[in-house]
Amino acid sequence: MLVFTRKVDEAIVIGDGIEVKVLRVGRDSVRIGVSAAPHVPVHRREVYDQIRAANAAAAAAPTAITDLVARLKGKVPAPEVS
Amino acid sequence: MSQSSAVDGVVTFPEGLPGFEEHRQFMIVASPDMEPFTVMRGVEARAPAFVAVDPRMVDRAYPTTLDRVDLARLAAHEQEPLLWLAIVAAHEDGRATANLRAPVVINPGTMRGIQIIAVESPYRTDHPLSVK
Repeated sequence: MLVFTRKVDEAIVIGDGIEVKVLRVGRDSVRIGVSAAPHVPVHRREVYDQIRAANAAAAAAPTAITDLVARLKGKVPAPEVS
Repeated sequence: MSQSSAVDGVVTFPEGLPGFEEHRQFMIVASPDMEPFTVMRGVEARAPAFVAVDPRMVDRAYPTTLDRVDLARLAAHEQEPLLWLAIVAAHEDGRATANLRAPVVINPGTMRGIQIIAVESPYRTDHPLSVK
């Protein structure tokens, strides 16, 4: 791991166009600003991990899907008939 | 309002789904006997499949608006009709939950899909499903 010492308002640049800047330093937290192109996903690690875990828990083998849908039937209100 | 939610063809997720980044192409399958559920089925060998439901079926007040960045990722215009899906998990204890925290949004116009990971959200990845 690369380790840097930065002061408030100092930044590091990653690759072509990703900037990570220290905005504020508190007692036990650091406020960080990330500038990246729109197509570069930037997430909090714990949120990303939570969504990975949720996807893993929901993934099914394609052959198991029919049974799964049958088990889920009735768990959601039926669509309104208009 | 029409409930037909199948998208005809293969939808590409340019960034994949977190945890399944290697599978980027999914068929979106809907049929009357599965309503209100929709199935997302990976097209490649050993790809996973998911059951999903329109998050508005789970929470009528669920907001289906996207910011400019997500619209750009979908190559969508502001007024374009998009398909919103919350991935559903069936747990061993019999509970079923829907991921309202990170919905899947598909643009049928460009056949692109993304899973939205908002910086902040009041919703949970395991919102309980139950008949009201």
